[in-house]
Amino acid sequence: MSDAIGTEALGKTYPGGVEAVADVTLSVRPGEIYGFLGPNGAGKTTTISMLTTLLRPTHGAAWVEGIDVTLRPEEVRRRIGLVFQRSTADETLTGRENLEVAAGLNGLSPRESRPRIREVLSRLDLTDAADRKASTYSGGMLRRLEIAAGIVHDPSILFLDEPTLGLDPQGRAGFWEYIRDLRGNHGVTIFLTTHYLEEADRLCDRLSILDHGKVLATGTPSALKETLARDAVVVRTSDPSRDLRPVLERLPGVLAVEAVPGDGATRVEVVRAESFVPVVVRACDAAGIEIASVATRKPSLDEVFLSMTGREYREESEGNHREFAAAFGSGRHGGR
Amino acid sequence: MYREFVTVLRREYLKWVRVPIWVASAFVVPVLYLVLFGQAFDLDRLFPAGASGSVYVSRALLGAPDYFSYFAVGMVAFVTLTASLYSGTGVLFDKQLGIHQRIVATPAPRSALFAGTLAFRAFSAAWPAFLAFGVALAFTGVPGLVGLSVRPSVSPLGVGEILLAEALLALMFTALFLSFGYVLDSNEAYFGITTLLNLPILFTSNALFPEATMPAWLQSVTAYNPASLAVNVMRENLFATRGYPYPPEVYLLGLLGWAAALVALALYLSARSLRVR
Repeated sequence: MSDAIGTEALGKTYPGGVEAVADVTLSVRPGEIYGFLGPNGAGKTTTISMLTTLLRPTHGAAWVEGIDVTLRPEEVRRRIGLVFQRSTADETLTGRENLEVAAGLNGLSPRESRPRIREVLSRLDLTDAADRKASTYSGGMLRRLEIAAGIVHDPSILFLDEPTLGLDPQGRAGFWEYIRDLRGNHGVTIFLTTHYLEEADRLCDRLSILDHGKVLATGTPSALKETLARDAVVVRTSDPSRDLRPVLERLPGVLAVEAVPGDGATRVEVVRAESFVPVVVRACDAAGIEIASVATRKPSLDEVFLSMTGREYREESEGNHREFAAAFGSGRHGGR
Repeated sequence: MYREFVTVLRREYLKWVRVPIWVASAFVVPVLYLVLFGQAFDLDRLFPAGASGSVYVSRALLGAPDYFSYFAVGMVAFVTLTASLYSGTGVLFDKQLGIHQRIVATPAPRSALFAGTLAFRAFSAAWPAFLAFGVALAFTGVPGLVGLSVRPSVSPLGVGEILLAEALLALMFTALFLSFGYVLDSNEAYFGITTLLNLPILFTSNALFPEATMPAWLQSVTAYNPASLAVNVMRENLFATRGYPYPPEVYLLGLLGWAAALVALALYLSARSLRVR
């Protein structure tokens, strides 16, 4: 089966020389939830803007369902839906009217769009609020209206740019359910950008990690974690000045030992953390060292990122407004 | 194309009626001008009847029966200008709120997006003028108020010319201010420019004052001002006129030229704004 989305060395350099996206090559399979994970300024919004025909690439190429995004943008627009980082609802209109406008601009006749809007409203739990002005909606409802506007014309691919930015954990979990339902029950291919590690880990079938405009790694969340990060055991003693490294380095199955800076703890990288705990305890006992605590760490995407970039991953709440503004020349940076 | 055009029209309409103050101000402002400014500032009353000044005024009005009638027709151009000043704000706010992005990301033909916006905004700029005209006519029946008197037999062709002149005037002013909405990103810049243009457009026209009372340099500007061209078409048809250098059709041609140029400008700027960079 051909790819739903494909890119080849895709890049965007803005006039003035700022290279927002350097080199992105990826392929998204039909029916997949594909994540684009990266810190702010990594180039996520710029990439999604190029894939959705809102920005013209300066190098490389991109296809959506085999259609070149620069050569036939109208064809691409017909096949995709978009959920923006910020709410694009017209707040003077009701939820239903917002969807009527979205459907009409996608070429649906009122006869086609009426049942479709009813269905989308119900699927996103907006039926009761449908005839209220969008200005009365809560943040979570506006997000749902945004998805509704993105899928009202029944696209085969849905792009979501930082869709859960500003949602509380409960709202985020609910949002993931809608996305899984879209993929599971309606076969929609999902491409989403996020800077939340947990979101990428729990929602995506596959993901690419992006930093400074380049794809660093691609794979399923578990494969990335298995190949790029390791289990670890973190040992604390009652005497923090005591150096454990000579004792632990000699043990069988140890891959690396390092002192956790400023913490007095020692971190031992191993293949399986749980089975290594008794080994650590016995070795310390034998050496006459009193253990205060032992903890196991499973690999996380955070560690994957750390192992590839040498720096820790930071989740910031502000999102990519600056990048968004650079891409579209909007003067407003604040999120809503 | 048609569906998308109608969708844009309907959206503009819904947004417009949801803010009743817009509708109300479009109705109230022209009436206030007619009741307050029009009744108080009457060139005729500044001179006693029969005095040489009065004769001069009467001649300057080029056949209008009185200053109020002259002024009331000029108000049509003024009201159209005022009502079109905010034509670009919808696009400007859409850009700032991200709504523009959603619209641009749809497969809707760009021409439909532009034409729908222009058509509704031009319509909403045109109708308050007809309202002002109707109110001024109705004043003739109100004791204590001066009203608009027109000649009893205005030809159907004349009525058609008047309607066309008003439609062209609304279209060109709307296109002009819509262009600023497409080109600018800040509210301050938009309102700065509209404030800067509003009064010069009005005062370099013969909408409120007869050309004969103006200095020669101003007269030469006034002759080409689209607001002057439009009111010339209307006054020539409505009053038993004398002293206009050209028949109404010539002024209509001028209006057509202005409208074509300004719509082309707006079309170009909208295409730039709707294009992928």
